[in-house]
Parts: sequence; C-alpha cells; structure tokens
Amino acid sequence: MSTPVVVPRERALPDSPLAKVQAGIDACVHCGFCLQACPTYLTLEDENDSPRGRIVLMRSLLEGTLTPTNDSVETHIARCLGCRACETVCPSGVPYGHLLEATRATLARSRPIPRIARAILAVFSRRSLLSLAMFGGRVMRATGIARLMSGLPGRIGFAMAMLTSTDRASSSSDEPGEYLSRGNGTRGNVSLLTGCVMEGLFAGTNAATERTLAVNDYLVARPAGQVCCGALHAHAGDDEAACELARSNIAAFEREQCDYVCVNAAGCGAMMKEYGHLFADDPEWHERAKTLSAKVRDVTELLSVAGPKRGGSVPIRVAYDAPCHLLHAQRVSSPPLDVLRAIPDLELVPLVESDVCCGSAGIYNLVEPETSNVVLDRKLENIEQTNADVVATGNPGCMMQIGAGLVRSGSRKSTVHLVDLLDRSYRRAARDSDGKRGGRAK
Amino acid sequence: MAATSVASAPSVSATSSIDQALADRLAAIVGARRVLFRPSELLTYTADALPSYFKQPALAVFPGTRDEVVAVVRELAACGVPFVPRGAGTGLSGGALADGVVLVGLNRLTRVISVDPDNMMATVEPGVVNVALSRAVGAYGLHYAPDPSSQAACTIGGNVAENAGGPHCLKYGVTTNHILALEVILPSGEIVTLGGTDGENEGYDLVGAFVGSEGCFGIALAITVRLSRNPEGVRTLLADFMSIDAAAQTVSAIVATGIIPAALEMIDQATIRAVESSIYAAGYPTDAAAALLIELDGAIAGLEHDVETVETLCRANGARTVRIARDEVERTRLWQGRKKAFGAMGRVSSHLVVQDAVVPRTKLPEVLAQIHRVSQQNRVKVCNVFHAGDGNLHPNIAYDASDADETARVHVAMREIMTLCVDAGGTITGEHGVGLDKIAYMELIFSPESLAAMCTLREVFDPERRSNPGKVVPVHSCREWHMSPAARPSASLA
Repeated sequence: MSTPVVVPRERALPDSPLAKVQAGIDACVHCGFCLQACPTYLTLEDENDSPRGRIVLMRSLLEGTLTPTNDSVETHIARCLGCRACETVCPSGVPYGHLLEATRATLARSRPIPRIARAILAVFSRRSLLSLAMFGGRVMRATGIARLMSGLPGRIGFAMAMLTSTDRASSSSDEPGEYLSRGNGTRGNVSLLTGCVMEGLFAGTNAATERTLAVNDYLVARPAGQVCCGALHAHAGDDEAACELARSNIAAFEREQCDYVCVNAAGCGAMMKEYGHLFADDPEWHERAKTLSAKVRDVTELLSVAGPKRGGSVPIRVAYDAPCHLLHAQRVSSPPLDVLRAIPDLELVPLVESDVCCGSAGIYNLVEPETSNVVLDRKLENIEQTNADVVATGNPGCMMQIGAGLVRSGSRKSTVHLVDLLDRSYRRAARDSDGKRGGRAK
Repeated sequence: MAATSVASAPSVSATSSIDQALADRLAAIVGARRVLFRPSELLTYTADALPSYFKQPALAVFPGTRDEVVAVVRELAACGVPFVPRGAGTGLSGGALADGVVLVGLNRLTRVISVDPDNMMATVEPGVVNVALSRAVGAYGLHYAPDPSSQAACTIGGNVAENAGGPHCLKYGVTTNHILALEVILPSGEIVTLGGTDGENEGYDLVGAFVGSEGCFGIALAITVRLSRNPEGVRTLLADFMSIDAAAQTVSAIVATGIIPAALEMIDQATIRAVESSIYAAGYPTDAAAALLIELDGAIAGLEHDVETVETLCRANGARTVRIARDEVERTRLWQGRKKAFGAMGRVSSHLVVQDAVVPRTKLPEVLAQIHRVSQQNRVKVCNVFHAGDGNLHPNIAYDASDADETARVHVAMREIMTLCVDAGGTITGEHGVGLDKIAYMELIFSPESLAAMCTLREVFDPERRSNPGKVVPVHSCREWHMSPAARPSASLA
C-alpha cells in the first residue's frame, strides 16, 4: 500500500541565494497549470523545460539530490527565458522570477557564467564601453553594413538583423509635422530612465517619450549619473554587478526629487520596480531602494492615466505584442492598449499568443540562440497570420527580436514602440492644424 | 512537492531489460532528445499533480506522432517491458507514476485531426489540451463539455483514462458521455477501433470499458469526441452563507425543484481565503462560512424564471448575499477562482492531498460536519471545494511533509474521511481515478470477487499486465489472481 511520504528537510546549500527563497519553492504544489503558459515547454515539449520541472530541479539542489554542477540543472535553468508568464497563471503565487535569479546566482558560484554572456554584461556595466558599442552599432546601421550582413547564418547574422530592424522601428521621427511638446505640467515631475539600448539605438523613441509625456501634462527630466538598470546582470545570476548598478541609479534618481520614474523599456521597468527586493537583506539600501521602486512607472501607465490626449489620424493596422516584463513581471496589461485605442483610426488587430514570449529575453537570444529561434518562429507564424501593418510593443529587446525575425524572413511588417505611434498621431494633428490655420498645434 | 530523493526501488522484474540498448532503440524511433534516461532528467516525471507520491521511471520516451507511438509500444511489447502512459501530469491520484518502468509521454500529440461541426464531433490526438479543443471549435459555436478544473493544462487522453469530470458534468455528463470512438493501441501492439460515429454500436460498449481504465488497457491514439452547442443564455450566481449546513441545505433545495443547474459548486471558508489571496481572486466574501457557485444555462426563454427561483431558494435557506455575474468578464472571474482553487492550496502549506469521495447529496450536511470533526480530532487543515450538485467532495488537506507527525495525522484523517463517506453510502472516487492513491481503499467498497472480475476484464486488453502496472486494483486482494486465467472461475461485479 502506498502512503504519502515524509520529506526530509536537509539543506544542501545552506547559505546560498537559493536557500533564501525556499518558501517560494515550497509554494509550488506541482499542479501543472503553468505548463501551457511556458514558451519553452510549448516549443520543446519537455517538462524539464517548464516552470514546475525547473522548480523540481531547484528543490533537488536544496535537498542535495543534485549538485550545482549537474548538467541537467545547468541546461534547463539556462534555457529558461525568465519571461515569468508562469507567475500570472500560478494560483499558489510562486515567485518564479525570484527563484530563477536565486538559482542562477547560486549556480554562478560553482561554475562561471558563459563567456559570451560575461562579455555582454561587462559592456553594459561600463558606460564608456557601452557608448562605444552603441556608436559602433549606429555606424553599422547607417552605413548599411548591418543590412548586408543580416542574412548571414548564426549569431552574427541575427545580431545584424536586430540592428537593421532598429532602423525601420524608429520611424516616427521621419514623420513630418512638429508639435509643441508642452502641457500644463500638473501631473507631476517625471524622471526618465534613458536606458542603454533605448538611448543607443532608439534615441528617437526616447525623444518621443518626452514629447508625448509633456503633451499629457508631465514635466520630464533626464537625471544625470544614471546607468544600466542591471536587469541583464540579475537575470544571468551576477547579482553583485546588478546591485552595484542599482545603487548608482538609486542615488542618481534620488537627486531629482521626482514624483515618478518613467521607463519605456519593459525589462528595465520590471527591474527597477524590484530594486526593493534586490536589497531585501541590505539594511543600508533597502528603504531607499523601496522608495525608488514605488515611483517607477511604465510610460504607458503614465500616459493612460492622463487619457492620453487625442492626436491626429493614424490609419494603420497594429498588432500589439505584450512584453513579458510588462505583462507578467509588472502586471501592466491594459495601459498599452489604452494608448493604442486613443489613436484615431488606428485599428488594433488581435494577435494569437500575444502574451507569450518572443524569445528575446534580454541577452537570451545571443546566449541560447537555438531555443530562442524556435520560440521566435512560433511568434512569427502568429504575426504572419494577422493582417497587421506593424507590430507594436514596449521593450527594445522584443522590438529587435521580432524585428530581426521579420527582416530575415523578408516580411513587409516591422516593429514599432507604441509611444512612437502616439507621437506620430500628435505630429499629424499638428500638421493638419498647421494646414488649416497656419499655426502650431497644442 | 518534494522528496525527489525518495525514488522507490523498481518493482517489476522486467526492469533489468530497461537498459541503454532499449534507450537506443527507442531513440531510433523518436530521436535522441525524446528519450530521457539520466535520473536527473527524470525527476520532474516522478510525480503528477498530487505531490504526495513519488516514483521514478527507469526511462521516459516522448513520441511525437501516432506512428511513433505505435512503434514505441511495439518495441516495448517485443521486449516485454511494462510502461505507463502519461498526458500532462495533472492527475490527482498518482495514476501516471511509473515505478521503475517506462513512462510514455503523450503530451506532444497535440493535433486536432478533424472537426465536423455539422455532426458536432471532432477527432483529436491524445495530447490535445482540454481547453485547446474548446478553443479550436469555438468558431462554430461549439465546445467540449467536460471541464475539469485543470482544463487549462490537462489532456483529452488523460481525461479519457480517468473518465474526468468537472463542474459542468452535473448537467452534461462526464467524459464517457462525450466519447464516441477510440482508436487504441493495445499493450501487445495491436491496433483496435472501439465504438463508432454512427450512433449506437452493436455489441458491447467497449468505449465505456476503455474510458476510465486509467491507462491499464492501452493507449488511445485518436479520440472522437462529441461536441456540445454553446447554450443560448448563461447566468452565474454566487451565494454566500454563514454556515456550511445552510449552504448544503440549499443544494438539496435547488435540486428538489427539478431545475438542473449547469454547475453547482461549494467552496468553504478556508478555500475562499486561499483563492482570494491569489491572482485568481474572484471577490468571494472571505468572512462567509461557505459559498455556492451556481450556473444556469439553456434557452433564454425561461432562464430568468429559473434564476429567480434559485435566488429565492438561496435566500430562503439563509444566503447572506446573492450576486449574479453581470457580464462575461465577471462570470469568468467567478469561475477562475473556483477552478484554480486546488492550485492555490500551496498558499496554505507546502504539500497537499486531495480526496475525491462521492456521497449521496442528501447526506452532504451530515458528511461535511463529520469531516470537520475528523479534521479537528487529527489537527489537520481541511479545505473543502467540491461539486455539491452531484455530491462529489474534494477535501484538500494542505500540510508540511517535512513534519513526520503531521504527515501521519494527515494520513489517518484521510482514511477516516474516506471511511465515513463510504459508510454514508458513498464511494471513494468521483472523477480523479483510483491510481495509486486510492488503491488502498478499493477493499472498502469491493469484494475480492469483484476485484478479481476487474482483473479478468483487464486481461482482455492487457493479458501481460504491462500497461500501468500496480494501479487501480490491489492485486493481493484478488483471491483468484494467482491462478491461471483458464482455471479462474467467472466472477461478476458486486
């Protein structure tokens, strides 16, 4: 006769980051409701590549059944996109994102983070290197070298396609019409996180973010001294580097005394909203981190509270693909749609699995290209089944991942940040009223 | 869920032939990636959704097409290796656990083979997820009626194996009422077709025998299901009560009117609180002793009258408030809270057992009071969430399995609850199946002769007893089991 077993509770890794999240692991009752939400399970079809499978591996590490150097652990934990779609379906509230980061930090103590990941993270940690890399990227983009190389096989070709797609994406600045980006400022002071990739490759979108916020009555500033948010480092298990970057940002944004910190990159926004958690064990920084986190808003949250104000007609068909770190990590679901719906004549077309990851996941597409491609292919198939002209989203990683897929498949569709669409709408309103009255709108 | 370290010793002698050579032969069929042989890759497959039992398979194989399933089963037949079919691993009876044998995962067979909207049926592969089937036929105004709470993850193949139920089975019937035909590969490798799509079949109802056979009769390769038309109108009510007794009385009162609700669910306070602290919070009142979730559907004409009748009955029996969902969004929210309640138990404690007893509906108030007493006597946390309309109870006991004393008390309480349900004229499982979890209770309700008859039936499909060994029937209690089939006297079900 079978009876329920008594589970031993020894701790194999007593002082590890993983041991600290034991309660989160215990919350999993193996119900399996996460399976159909997990992009790697849907595409790889092995439960080891699902949230509950990975949680079993995490638990085995703590029980000592498996060691941090076990290949199965390494493979399946590395293959997780960290999209956190499992969190928005989990009835038990398993904080999967935290478990994943704690596991990666624990594994990083026993075996080094992969070389390519370390190289990328090192660049993002240092402003001078980052500026240089972004400058190089812009040169490759402007000279057409990126486009030429975008068809090459492997990581290089894909990276070049990503770069190429950013050219197509920043299209709102090509739109004629200028508008006076000023409202009454009554909605409060906003500090903008300019971001690494956003400022490096999507500077036009950052400018559009400032303009659209101003029209909607926010006063926007760009605090000096801000650095990379540290999300890429935290996801990879390099929590020391993540904390160092976070401390710089906390100090930089404190100096501004703002009401809100605005982020237009979902991944960075999710990270900054979790600074409080990052410093949970650090009495010196915890309160400061929590205070900053409480001020962080995605740009669409700020815009949707304000309406946003209506602009001119933008008669295109748009499919919205939700960034995982907006929908699942930040649980922001309707504000992006509010923004799109506020644009006259814009037709929002449904996209199947718009809540499933595109495979970008920070630097995942460069570190785990194989799985990333399988996940992306499924996304591209769903996109091709729509009659959308563009795919709107709210995160540079997603814009470049989907954008690269579209470039490489020769699709006529492209990606765009939804703030650029709102900006385009405001430009058209200005142009239209210029035509009528010979003056500036707004 | 835990105890991945507690892999019990393989129980079957054929285990010795599960070796690298077999893994290689299977890999030649399905591809190397689809055969898991290293213990560290098999850990997640040691449990289903009842995280109290752990059995480590010796090997797991994941065919991706019908032909691959056929080839895998024939390979296993050729070397006489036992196997366990598994869908999504969302079962609640330990039914898909493979103790030192081969696990055959069917989750990759996710094709909807055909949809025939005019004749209201569809044929699917076994790995199609329950809710995906309804989604696939939604455009025709149709759906697949049986809706287990795990429908967002569980597979139709698993539903067939367990004869799964669900809230809406009160009015529409359980899985077996919705399966028209099955293409089955027997453990011997022979392929047979059971049932048919052209009405009642001549001869024995073999579909009826296969549905609910818990993986002991073979693997369904293709399943033809009956689809149901979406009702013209649906009304969902939430009534809350200050005593469980009042809620239970209301259930009987509603059924006595002759109105058949599409669903009639009861949720007690402990469950309400777990759900309300989750992302599936549905607005159930957390201070109520119990709530009833009542759904009425059918033709618009007459529906409002039924709603009024039910509302009046609820109030007459002591309902504090009765809320009617205003729109589809609110209706979905009310249902999501109920359907995810089981998963939310992780908020109460780290481990969980779920019972599935059925009692006569009229005995509900009495049985619920007894369960409450048992939980107090044994100092365990029982959360009740169940299909009240058909008396199918799901007492969930959340506990900490690292606490040996608590684990022992949970086990005692489970057995006491099961016994009192049987004493009240009930039975041990309504929809989760016997599997591993309830095998110990089979002797409470079946005589040795009846159990032997079940073994005899099984032999028709699986004479070597290789498919899902060690489940459903406690072999030691079949008196004639050790005799050869020829010498065994015929036995009838009690």
